[in-house]
Amino acid sequence: MGEIKIQAVCGFGCGSSLFLRIKIDNVLSAHGLKARTFCGDVGTCCSADCDVIFISAELGERIKDRAKVPIVIINNFMDDKEVSEKVLAYFDTLK
Amino acid sequence: MESIIATRNMRVGLEAGDWREAIRLAGGVLEESGSITREYTESMVTAVEELGPYIVIMPGFAIAHAAPSPAVLREDLALVTLAHPVSFGSPNDPVELILCVACVDRESHVRALQAVAEVLCGDGVMERLAKASDVEELARILSGE
Repeated sequence: MGEIKIQAVCGFGCGSSLFLRIKIDNVLSAHGLKARTFCGDVGTCCSADCDVIFISAELGERIKDRAKVPIVIINNFMDDKEVSEKVLAYFDTLK
Repeated sequence: MESIIATRNMRVGLEAGDWREAIRLAGGVLEESGSITREYTESMVTAVEELGPYIVIMPGFAIAHAAPSPAVLREDLALVTLAHPVSFGSPNDPVELILCVACVDRESHVRALQAVAEVLCGDGVMERLAKASDVEELARILSGE
């Protein structure tokens, strides 16, 4: 498998998704996991090339029927425990 | 050390009756600074109307923003605290702290926003910011004191 591409999504790809991306990056480096992270917006995220989408519950509802990759819902973007558990759970699915 | 958010872009204890007013007050700060036009402020309100209260990304905290547009004259950040928390209809309600983000594109503001995010992620920082009694205290907390 090539490099994992993780897309963090918010409404416009320039605000809250950045917070989420930082949190995901922190988890990746803390656990020695390799992946490329980037931000996306809810309108175009389904056509962006990625392996998984991390997104809020409200916005996740909007894309769940369109997304071609797994969606991971994050309720509290700043909750280290939630983000960490969900990132690690996603990597477990790849084993 | 210069604060990661200009003190002229901070307000403490604003009175907002609802979430729309809260966003307009936060946007108004950047309008006063000449960083955005009224149009951007309204698009931040429209964003919540259309996409829902996802901007309340953690308990008590909303990150008001809209798509990069010509209504953003320069990238900038504002931080306001509310005297009385407002509801956005989010599981993370009520909101007492609003960060207003004006972005000209998806990349140029990343470093400033990342610095803010790292501070906000610190233990107890959100609570201290919400309780700050003046702008100087906000600035001190943001600079890591």
